[in-house]
Amino acid sequence: MTSPSQHGMPGDAAQNGEDTLRLIAGLPAPEGLADRVNARLRTAPRRAGLLHWPIAPIMGYRIQSPAFRAAAAAGIVCIVAGGGWQIFSHVQTAPAANAIVQPARVGNSGGFSNAGAMRMPDTLDRPVLKHPLPSNQQDSVAPAAAGQAAPAKKHKPVKHGRKAAPDQR
Amino acid sequence: MSAGLTLPWMEIAPRAVHDNARQHATDQAVAALVDEYAPTLYRVAFSVLRNAADAEDAVQEVFLRVLRHRDSLHDVRDQRVWLVRIVWNIVLDRKRRAKTRPETDDITELARVLPAAGMTAEERAAAAQHHAHVLSLVDRLPPKEREVLMLSAFQELTSVEIASILGITESSVRSRLFRARNLMADLLERPRSVR
Repeated sequence: MTSPSQHGMPGDAAQNGEDTLRLIAGLPAPEGLADRVNARLRTAPRRAGLLHWPIAPIMGYRIQSPAFRAAAAAGIVCIVAGGGWQIFSHVQTAPAANAIVQPARVGNSGGFSNAGAMRMPDTLDRPVLKHPLPSNQQDSVAPAAAGQAAPAKKHKPVKHGRKAAPDQR
Repeated sequence: MSAGLTLPWMEIAPRAVHDNARQHATDQAVAALVDEYAPTLYRVAFSVLRNAADAEDAVQEVFLRVLRHRDSLHDVRDQRVWLVRIVWNIVLDRKRRAKTRPETDDITELARVLPAAGMTAEERAAAAQHHAHVLSLVDRLPPKEREVLMLSAFQELTSVEIASILGITESSVRSRLFRARNLMADLLERPRSVR
């Protein structure tokens, strides 16, 4: 073992340090260490695995077969999916709001508003004369107005091309 | 139920028997590992943690991890090096997370565990103080050099095994050990020198 008197000798300094490390490394393990570790391992939780069917661990029957497990898993999936669909089909979504809220607009007149009054344009169903016509003019106007509905007068078609050239001279 | 009536789904599955037998065999193998390597792992853990309770706790954690990966136990080539590497990583992680231990704690613990045959109480206290001082200087070494120096103190570990534990080459182990010894000599000769 390294003694304190050796500490301070320049030549053996590194060796001195390694001696300490070797001394520490060579310390014996406490008594009963392996027993304590083994006891702890026995009480340690086992690795998570497949859940056993209640009868299976006792009798070890073929009920543990993969096909049976697959069928059970499929049944669970169907139940969960059916429940989810039932909930989904019964939940009604809220209707969308029809009114659109718009922020109040501030007019260009420095904050003065028109108190909600709206300007209605002078748009009517048909044109209205400002000054009513006399009765005889109304008669002459009437056929003219009626003529608008009559078929349009046939115009002489304009000929284009060489035959039309002499007439233009 | 009559003896003649045996439904096909009531037959005992051979896999259930094999599972139990295999689990029993694996438990036996882990128990054998504990008996063989627990003292070595404890010494490795103690050299880093310098506390008996913490070292024992680290050893238990090692075998709990082994138990968790017992299915791949047969794939391990060198179980001793594998276990030392596990405990080394555990204790380094714990040391990193723990606060720096004061030197007085080391003195107390070393005075308790160091062999004191033929020594007076004063000599024992002085020896513990000296070793604690050396260990505090070891803690001042750079981590790479410190790790190699500490593992090289274990007689049963060759440089190849140290390289395997640290995940480096054997030549790196030698060069780091050389640097560690030089730094350690400097620190012991001039304790206040800055590395």
